[in-house]
Amino acid sequence: MAVQTDERPQTTPTPDAGSGAGTAAASSDGRTLPKPSPRGITVAVVLGLFLAGGIWSVIDLRINFASLMDSWANTQNFMGRALPLDFPAWDELLRGTLTTLSIVLLATLLAVLISIPCALMAARTTCRSAALRTSSRVFIVIMRAIPELILALFFLRIYGFGAGAIAGILALGLHSVGMLGKMYADAIEDHDDGPRQAQETAGAKRIQQIFGSVMPGITPAVIAHALHRFDINLRASVILGWVGVAGLGADLRAAQGVGNYPRLLALGLIVLLLCILVEIISGRLRMKLLGRAEPSRFGVLWAWQKLRSRWSGERLETRPSLGSRTIPPWDGARIARFSHIGLTLALILASVVYIEWSALLALLASWTDADVSSWEVFTGEFHVAAFFTGLVDLPEESQRWFPPHDGDIQSTIFAQILVTIQIALAATFLGALLALPVGALAARNVAPRPGLAQFFRMVIVVTRGVPELILALLLIIIMGLGAVAGTLALALGAMGLLSKLVADSIEDTDVRIQDALVTGGAGRAQVFFAATMRQSAPAVVSHVLYQLDVNFRSATLLGIVGAGGIGYQLEMARRTLQWEVVTYILICVVAVVLLIEAVSVFMRRLMR
Amino acid sequence: MSVPTDYDLSLRDVLKFFPPSTTAVKDVSLDVGPGTFTVLLGLSGSGKSTLLRLLNGLHTPTEGEVRVLGTDVAQAGRSELRRLRRDIGMVFQQFHLVGSMSTLENVCTGALGSLRGPRVGLFSYPKSVRQRALEQLERVGLADHRFQRADTLSGGQQQRVAVARALVQRPRILLADEPVASLDPESSNQVMSLIARIAREDSLTVVCSLHQVELALQWGDRVFGLRHGELVLDDSSCNITHERAMSIYGNSAVLPAAAGAGAAATSGAAL
Repeated sequence: MAVQTDERPQTTPTPDAGSGAGTAAASSDGRTLPKPSPRGITVAVVLGLFLAGGIWSVIDLRINFASLMDSWANTQNFMGRALPLDFPAWDELLRGTLTTLSIVLLATLLAVLISIPCALMAARTTCRSAALRTSSRVFIVIMRAIPELILALFFLRIYGFGAGAIAGILALGLHSVGMLGKMYADAIEDHDDGPRQAQETAGAKRIQQIFGSVMPGITPAVIAHALHRFDINLRASVILGWVGVAGLGADLRAAQGVGNYPRLLALGLIVLLLCILVEIISGRLRMKLLGRAEPSRFGVLWAWQKLRSRWSGERLETRPSLGSRTIPPWDGARIARFSHIGLTLALILASVVYIEWSALLALLASWTDADVSSWEVFTGEFHVAAFFTGLVDLPEESQRWFPPHDGDIQSTIFAQILVTIQIALAATFLGALLALPVGALAARNVAPRPGLAQFFRMVIVVTRGVPELILALLLIIIMGLGAVAGTLALALGAMGLLSKLVADSIEDTDVRIQDALVTGGAGRAQVFFAATMRQSAPAVVSHVLYQLDVNFRSATLLGIVGAGGIGYQLEMARRTLQWEVVTYILICVVAVVLLIEAVSVFMRRLMR
Repeated sequence: MSVPTDYDLSLRDVLKFFPPSTTAVKDVSLDVGPGTFTVLLGLSGSGKSTLLRLLNGLHTPTEGEVRVLGTDVAQAGRSELRRLRRDIGMVFQQFHLVGSMSTLENVCTGALGSLRGPRVGLFSYPKSVRQRALEQLERVGLADHRFQRADTLSGGQQQRVAVARALVQRPRILLADEPVASLDPESSNQVMSLIARIAREDSLTVVCSLHQVELALQWGDRVFGLRHGELVLDDSSCNITHERAMSIYGNSAVLPAAAGAGAAATSGAAL
């Protein structure tokens, strides 16, 4: 139903808009509906297929009220066993939290450091060589196509299971290049090329132009996307705990493994709080570093500010006499800006030290001949030297993963991949179903009352704050292992993100058209379908397709914790050390990812 | 490569073709002597911008020869072109300042051509460059705004900063591509008189593209009229009546290029 409204405008003009004029056959051939174009038909057919796929998946996965009702009893049962919450000792908790945060911070930093040169080579304005541009783009796409899980498995194999931190950093960092590299390249290409041209005219070299105009121009985008990626990586790093990446995820897995629900729930709560806290801090940093960016109206930070009283009046800067200074004076704003940059650097340094703790201690010991074995309270597991020895092992390790082999369970693998696709389809369908009304009502230009829009925005903020993994873990316990839990968790996640995107694209529509229809006497619903929905439909459909892509990846990941689908097979193969089978499954997963992406790129082109 | 000539700029039968089917500049020959305030007059799309960009090697001519300060631009190697560009300042219609950088740092970027390596932040520029930048900012009357973000300035102020940036290069030639097309009449007047004043003080050769006849006749010593990439007018501004200048926009017959195309440095025009 909800997605139907999306496709209808593609084929015919909405009846609300056309019916008034269509009463009499006035024109020469009497046709009041256009002949359907091949493009329109293709769009309708593909969207129809997706819609049908979504409905079929929901039915086939047995997601219905009866099964939801059944789990109600389980919920009560579970709550009885899970309460009171059992928080780990504070030092254990601190170790897990700090490890997770350090991994995420360093992974994001690694991603930024790789992404910037990649983006500079991929952008038309900064790279003249077409061959270099293409190869850089291809590298970025490959990084995006390989799930972080696969990279994590690979690096864990190379560095051993003790090296949970470095594997996590490398996996998340490299995979993030797939998103950040593309975002940065787009930012460079979208950015005004004039200043760079002006510097070229003045005889500046390419590298001077890049640092003198391109980098200052895109710094806000670089930071904003990096902070966004930090949020994503935090959530992903917890899931990677299931395959051996250190941090809170590993603790969660341990609790799940022994069925210690009070502990599981407590840790889940910690992760939830951490996610919210990180969003607040990253929003804060974004505002400080970028100077005057307005926080997203769907972020936790926005909600926080809304709850607080209005921002106090802008500080008026009084300029002292400048004389012949050529370096700005240390006024409040400058000190604040530098202290934030300093804080960021300090955090990065602290993370490196924390992750490398034992290595540093060992280094210290070799200088002082002290016995350090008793010092290692927070044991970082990885040593710089091991990184390079690990690289030496790479060719040998690769051999163990090849050639890919189906492990004589080919039919199971294909069946499970199908289930994963079903989960993605069903979750996207359900998510979109919920997101369309929620998103529309959260848009200020549609909601009947401002209060209602604000209420729905709050709903979106809360939904987006909950990590899918925590939802999935809860649902698995309540409903048992399987696809239903995964689907519902992903559906809620999809709803959060999609509602935000829907609300944004609805608010981006041209209000004058709405006004024109209102002037013509159209009712609220008529205006919504004829003008608002019609304008935002292409954007909404492309967001939904993107969500399908995201959901397939997430479904694969969530399978590992037991939320159904191919992830579980992957985990089995990993546990039994059948690396050829892991490779086989990975190839299948990447193939599906690329297929979905190809379809969504194709659709976006058609609808443009 | 360098051959001494009497002209700062000389173009010989220059043609610029953009694939697939645009001829932006067609058979243009002209010479400009040192210290001349030259105006390129024409509608948008008449080839003014292309012509300017041919002068500093941002475009290379498809045919013909472009000589600037004695250097053949098309034949110049990378470092030679870079050296040449240091001597040519340029001002753009859209100012092209880095909005997030301070005014002073924007002016400093003009000196990049004579510095080694990338620069980030005011600290990274030598004190001499910073002081030179400040002097130029003082000249355009914006020294008080030196630590303000460039995007907080008005359009006219931004253009003056851009002029200061071009001057930090210590150029011999100043190119201006529609410098006042995005400004209101008052700011336009300010910027044009600033450019004229500085050109006189530093004895710069100026090539300024404009589309308003009034401004062209008011400020230019010498006016080149362009239509569809062809040179249709070339005379000292005091010899050009308003009607004659307007005719390059009209449908009337193409005026023959003035006979004395070589008669370079012209009489002191109305300033």
